[in-house]
Amino acid sequence: MLIPHSLYQPGETLVHRLHPLTKLVYSLAAAAIIFGGPGMWLSAILPGLLAILLLWRAGLTGRAVIMVLRLLAPLTLVLFLVHGLFNPQNQTILIQLGPFFVGQEGLAFAALIVVRLIAVLVSSLSFVMTTHPAHLVQALEEAGLPRRLAYLLGSPLLIMPQLAGRVQAIQAAQQARGLETQGNLLMRIRALFPLVAPFIFSALVDVEERSLALEVRGFSASTPKTSLFELPDTPAQHTARWVMFLLAAFLLAAGFWWRANGGH
Amino acid sequence: MAAIDISGLTYTYPGSLVPALRNISFAVEPGQLVAVVGANGAGKSSLCLALAGLIPALYHGQIQGSVTLNGMDTRLHSPGEFAGRVGLVLQNPTNQLSGMRYTVYEEVAFGLENIGIPRQEMPPRIEHALALVGLTDLRDRSPYTLSGGQQQRLALASILAMEPPILILDEPTAMLDPQGSQNLFEIVQKLVHTGTTVIIAGHQLEWISRYADRVIALAQGEVILDDTPAKVMASPLLTQSGIGWLRYTLAAHQAIARGLWPASRPLPVTVEQAGEGFRQTNQRIEGQEQTDADPD
Amino acid sequence: MSLKEQLKKDFSTITLTLMAVAIVLNIVLGQVVSLLKLPIFLDSIGTVLVALLAGPWAAALTGLLTNLIWGLISDPVAAAFAPVALIIGLAAGLCAKYGLFKKWWQAIISGVIITLALSIIAIPIRVYMFGGVTGSGADFITAYLLATGRDLFSAVIVTVIGDNLIDKVVTALLAWGIVKGLPKRFTARFPRASAVTE
Repeated sequence: MLIPHSLYQPGETLVHRLHPLTKLVYSLAAAAIIFGGPGMWLSAILPGLLAILLLWRAGLTGRAVIMVLRLLAPLTLVLFLVHGLFNPQNQTILIQLGPFFVGQEGLAFAALIVVRLIAVLVSSLSFVMTTHPAHLVQALEEAGLPRRLAYLLGSPLLIMPQLAGRVQAIQAAQQARGLETQGNLLMRIRALFPLVAPFIFSALVDVEERSLALEVRGFSASTPKTSLFELPDTPAQHTARWVMFLLAAFLLAAGFWWRANGGH
Repeated sequence: MAAIDISGLTYTYPGSLVPALRNISFAVEPGQLVAVVGANGAGKSSLCLALAGLIPALYHGQIQGSVTLNGMDTRLHSPGEFAGRVGLVLQNPTNQLSGMRYTVYEEVAFGLENIGIPRQEMPPRIEHALALVGLTDLRDRSPYTLSGGQQQRLALASILAMEPPILILDEPTAMLDPQGSQNLFEIVQKLVHTGTTVIIAGHQLEWISRYADRVIALAQGEVILDDTPAKVMASPLLTQSGIGWLRYTLAAHQAIARGLWPASRPLPVTVEQAGEGFRQTNQRIEGQEQTDADPD
Repeated sequence: MSLKEQLKKDFSTITLTLMAVAIVLNIVLGQVVSLLKLPIFLDSIGTVLVALLAGPWAAALTGLLTNLIWGLISDPVAAAFAPVALIIGLAAGLCAKYGLFKKWWQAIISGVIITLALSIIAIPIRVYMFGGVTGSGADFITAYLLATGRDLFSAVIVTVIGDNLIDKVVTALLAWGIVKGLPKRFTARFPRASAVTE
C-alpha cells in the first residue's frame, strides 16, 4: 500500500525558487480561467500551454506526463466512449456501429472536457511538484494564516506515515490470526471491522497526548508568534500575484458575460 | 518561595464518581528532584497534569484546593500562560512531536516561536538544548527518522529550550529500552544540578532510590508517604499499596529473620547499601567460622 | 458568548489534534479499504467522527482539508471534490446536533441524509468538470441511462447516489459505534459530543 509523502520533486530551477504563494495563486487563477474564461477552447489551451512551459523549465515534463497519463487516461477513454456513443446532443454521424453511432457533437464535448482537465492538472502540477509542502504552509502562515489552520494543513503530512505503518502492523497481526482479506464478498465485508476498528481506536488514543504536547509547547498561548526564518520573496512576485488575481477575476467576469450573450 | 505548592488538592474528572486525587498537600523547593511512585491508577498521571497547570483548565471536572507554580495558581491561568514556565514530558515519544517541522532543529524552535521568543535568541537556546540532550549531530534529520529514545530526547530538548524552571516528567522512560532510559536519567541529573525543579513520576525505583532528594508515594489518589528515599523505599506501606520493594530491599528484609542482616542496620535502598550490609554479615560469619574453627 | 470565543471553544487544541488525526484516517483508510474492493470507501470516516465529537464546522473543515491535502500530495483531481467532503462534514454534524445520532437506526437515517446532501454538490461537479463520468464501473450505468434518452444530469444522479449510499450508511454506523465506545474521560473533552453520548 502506497502512502505518498508528496508530489514534490526537489530542484533548484527558477520555478522551484518562486515563492509558494506565487505558485499557488497562479494555479488557482489558471483553474478559474480554464473553466470560466471566455472562448471555450482558448481559455483552456493557453493556460495549459503556459503550465507545460513552466514544467519544462523546472525539468519535470517527463514526470508530469506520467502523472497526467496515470490520473486521466481511464477517464479520457470513458469520456470519449460514453459521449461519443451516447451523448444526447449527437446528431452528426461519424462512424456507424450497428444500432449505435459515434457522434461528432459527443466527441467534441468529450474532447473539451479532456483538454480542460489536462490543462488544470498540469497547472496544479507545476505548482505542486515544485513546492515543498512545509514551505507552502510556512508561506501561508507568513501571509497571516492562523497557526491553528497551518497546523491542520501541515501536520497530517508528517503524522501520516506513522499511522499508515500502524495499519499495516494491525493487518499483519489480524492475518496471522486467520483474517481473510481476499475471497468472496462476505469474507471481505467481515474483514473490514477487525481491520478498521483497532486502528481508529489507537489513533484516537493518540489524540489526547498529542494535544497535551502541543499545549505545553505554547500552542494556545496568546503571545504574538515569532518565526525562526523567513521564506525569500520579492516585490516583483508580490505584484505578480496581484496581477494574476486581477487578471483571473477579469477573465472570469468576461467569461460570464460571454456565456450570457450566447457564447459556447 | 516554594517552586511548587499544593494545598488540599482533590480532583474528580467529569463523569467520574471517584476522585482521582484526594487531599494532596506538599511543597517543593526550587532545585529539588522529587520522585512520585505509585501503582497504575494511583493518580501519578493526574498529579502530573495538575502540576503542569493542565488540570483543571483543560479537563474541567471538580476541583478543591489549589496548586501554585512559582506563585501562579493553576485555577486562575490558562495552559498557554504556563508554557515556558512549566515543562511536561509524557510517555510516548512520537506523540510529542509537533508534526509541523521537518528537522530536529526546527522542531526545537517550534515552542520558542509559539511563546514569542525573538528570532536572534533562538539559535543559542536551541544549540544549548540540543547539546544538553546529546542530539546536536542529528539537528538536520527529520524527527520521524529518529529512534524512540532519540525522539524522547528531542521532546525533552524542545521543552528545555523554553527554559522552564519547573519540569514534570510522566513515565518518560516507559517506552524506551535500557540504554535510552539511562541516557534520559543522566540528562535529568544534569538539569537538577543547574537548578531546575524536577518532578519525575514512574516505576524506575532503582534510579529513584539513588538520585531523588525526596520520594512521594501515591495510592488511590492519596499521598501515603513523603520522605527521603531511604525511608520511603524501605517502608512496608510500599508493598501494601502495590508498588513493591526493590529486590535487595526485599532480600535484606527476609534475611533479618534468619540473622543474615544486622537488625539494627536500616534496610538498603540501593545496591551499594545492600552490598555494604551483606558484606558486614559475611565478615561476621567468617569471624564466627574462624572462632568455631579455632577451639582455643 | 462572542463569535471569537465560540470559535476558540469549538477549535480547542484537542479538537485540532482530533481533526489532524481524522484527516489522516480519511486518507489512510480510504487507501486500505480500496484494496478490499467493496462498494465501501470509508474515506470520510474521520470527517464523520469529527462531526460527532466536535460539530458541523470542524467536520466541514476536516473534509475540505482532507481533499486539499490529498490533492497536494497525490492526486490533484481529488481537490475538485473538496466541496463534497465539506458538505459531508456539515451534514453529519448537523444530524448529530439535532439528535439524529443517538441510536443505531438513527445513524442509518443520517447516512442517507448525508448521501443526499453530498449529491447536491457532487452531481454538478461531476457533470460540469468531468462530463458526468468517473472512470470506474459506474459509468456503464451512466452510459445506459444516456442511451435510453436521459439527459446527462439525471443519468449521473443515479450513479452518484448509488455509489455513495452504502458507504455513507456504513460510515455513519461505524462512527456512531466508535463514539459510543470511547471512554467518558475522552468524550468529556468535547462539549458537542454530548449530543451523541447522552
